[in-house]
Amino acid sequence: MLPRTIGRAVILLAVEAFFFILFAAFMKTDETGKVIAFLLFFIGLGVMFKKWEKARLTLTGLFKELKIVAGAGFVAMLLTLPFIFQASPYLIHICVMAGLFAILALGLNFQLGSTNVVNFATAASYGIGAYASALLAVHFHISFWLGLLVGGSLASIFGLLLGIPCMKTKDYYLSLVTIAFGLIVYILLNNFSWTGGPNGIPNIPPPSLFGHSFKEPLSLFGYQLPFQSNYYYLIFLLVGGSLFVAHRLHHSRVGLTWNAIREDEIAARCHGIDVTWYKILAFCIDAFFGGVAGTVYSHYIGFISPENFAFIVSVVVVTMVILGGMDNVFGVIIGAILLTILPEKFRAFEDFRVLIYGLIVVTMLMFRPQGLFPQKMRIYKK
Amino acid sequence: MSSLLETNKLTIHFGGLAAVNEVDFTIDQGETVGLIGPNGSGKTTFFNLLTGIYKPTGGEIRYCGKNMVGLPTFKIAKQGVARTFQNNRLFLNLSVLDNVLIGMHPQQDSNWFDAIFRRSYVEREIEQGVEKGLELLSQFSEGLLTNCYQRAGDLPQADRRKVEICRALASNPKLLLLDEPSAGMSPAETEELMEDIRKVRQKVGEIGIIIIEHDMAVIRKVADRVIVLNYGRKIAEGTFHEISDNELVLEAYLGREEKDAQA
Repeated sequence: MLPRTIGRAVILLAVEAFFFILFAAFMKTDETGKVIAFLLFFIGLGVMFKKWEKARLTLTGLFKELKIVAGAGFVAMLLTLPFIFQASPYLIHICVMAGLFAILALGLNFQLGSTNVVNFATAASYGIGAYASALLAVHFHISFWLGLLVGGSLASIFGLLLGIPCMKTKDYYLSLVTIAFGLIVYILLNNFSWTGGPNGIPNIPPPSLFGHSFKEPLSLFGYQLPFQSNYYYLIFLLVGGSLFVAHRLHHSRVGLTWNAIREDEIAARCHGIDVTWYKILAFCIDAFFGGVAGTVYSHYIGFISPENFAFIVSVVVVTMVILGGMDNVFGVIIGAILLTILPEKFRAFEDFRVLIYGLIVVTMLMFRPQGLFPQKMRIYKK
Repeated sequence: MSSLLETNKLTIHFGGLAAVNEVDFTIDQGETVGLIGPNGSGKTTFFNLLTGIYKPTGGEIRYCGKNMVGLPTFKIAKQGVARTFQNNRLFLNLSVLDNVLIGMHPQQDSNWFDAIFRRSYVEREIEQGVEKGLELLSQFSEGLLTNCYQRAGDLPQADRRKVEICRALASNPKLLLLDEPSAGMSPAETEELMEDIRKVRQKVGEIGIIIIEHDMAVIRKVADRVIVLNYGRKIAEGTFHEISDNELVLEAYLGREEKDAQA
């Protein structure tokens, strides 16, 4: 039995490694033609996977059987990424941004995916977290690690403040309130003098850990990694933490209650669910995630201005959740990664970016409303 | 003994229309009351008043001796009033078992903090919920038990009703409101449904059930007492036999014989 398991584990890791190498190669190409070739290849793989049932069942069975091996292999490969991209810090930067958006999308997923509250104010909580920690760091020399908590909590309080007026409205009207809120935050950031107005806040100090400043290159096992790697590992941990929280919330009474509200609000009320409270809870948790992502962003880039937190950011995050798969935490992360990397690869078409986001949303909602990776039923062990 | 639920001149106006007009109603523990009347006579509105979905414009509702008027729906539900809906409002994209688990929401108490940091507590709660849910489903149908991870929206109509009743029972209600449970069912399915209702009464002896029904066969077999509404008013009350001879009731359903018109 044991040799067979080892054999299966090797096959599993080989499959993972294959995809990982493919991904790394994809990241390294920058010619539009090759990028398109890669994309077609990926789509082909996806279609084949869908058509070829035997392969699909074998593979999914393999993953289910050796969950821990699969997870460990995946994590190990992700951890080597900065070594592979050692020569091109730009690629690591893209990965860091993908991670930040993954956190934002995971946060929004509590609302858009689980509860069907279409919130267009993600950029606001993102911005509030970023500004709060940046101001604290610049004026009061508060450390990044404390700022992370403060940024998240402040954003959470703003989420609560946004949630209360939103509860007076429903559906589209609720979305309108969140859009208005996002715009208000944007305009305030632009017009207050203590936020630096349109000039933003420059010179935000980088975080440091045990005397190692995140602005310095990282030396690991005799390799000199570009300074972005510090943030890559930080984001890796934070995405892991967010995933953990999102997964636990999904598989609990709270997640189930959110789903009930999404499906039928009146029936939910008739089963003793305090709809208002649970919706506000979703607002607060979403905003906390946004605030944390914002804090990391501001300290990473070292400079923030209101432009970084404009309405379009919210739209992008909504698109990520819809593309990836509503309420599926892994799907949402894939959506975030796809929609961060692809625009970078298609820099030539940057002017059409918003158009493409719109197209994605419309196509997904028409042909696959459940997203690339739909939510699965909860299965309970007996 | 005070009654389980009592309404006193319960009234709601929608603009100039009195959808429910000064209705006095009582139900005791362990009693099954049928609520009948022609379409549009205010039966479902009456349920919506009891569950707090509509706020009455007059009168009072006393449940276990306490005034319930003005309480939000979810608080009324938490005190043990469960209902099913005329048009079947299951959580369609969730599994059968998840639907029943949501029914247990009022008795469970884990919050977001527990979900993240006190996993063992949450897991025990889920485990107990699943056990109870499966037991409930097994009492209603073996088929539902084996398909408990099926999407509720993929079930046929009769099974959906059953799941809805299971979901309502999952909260251990003291008062169960059934809004046309046999709608859209074949005679055989209706027969099965009546059997189910009888089972519920046997198992939970003290539960009070109010049932809205158009199928008089169901009412005759299940209800201890029948109340007839017409144009929002209570026009008759009594056992099924008393009601079926009542002239006002016949008139409401069949219309008046036009003796005066000929004269």
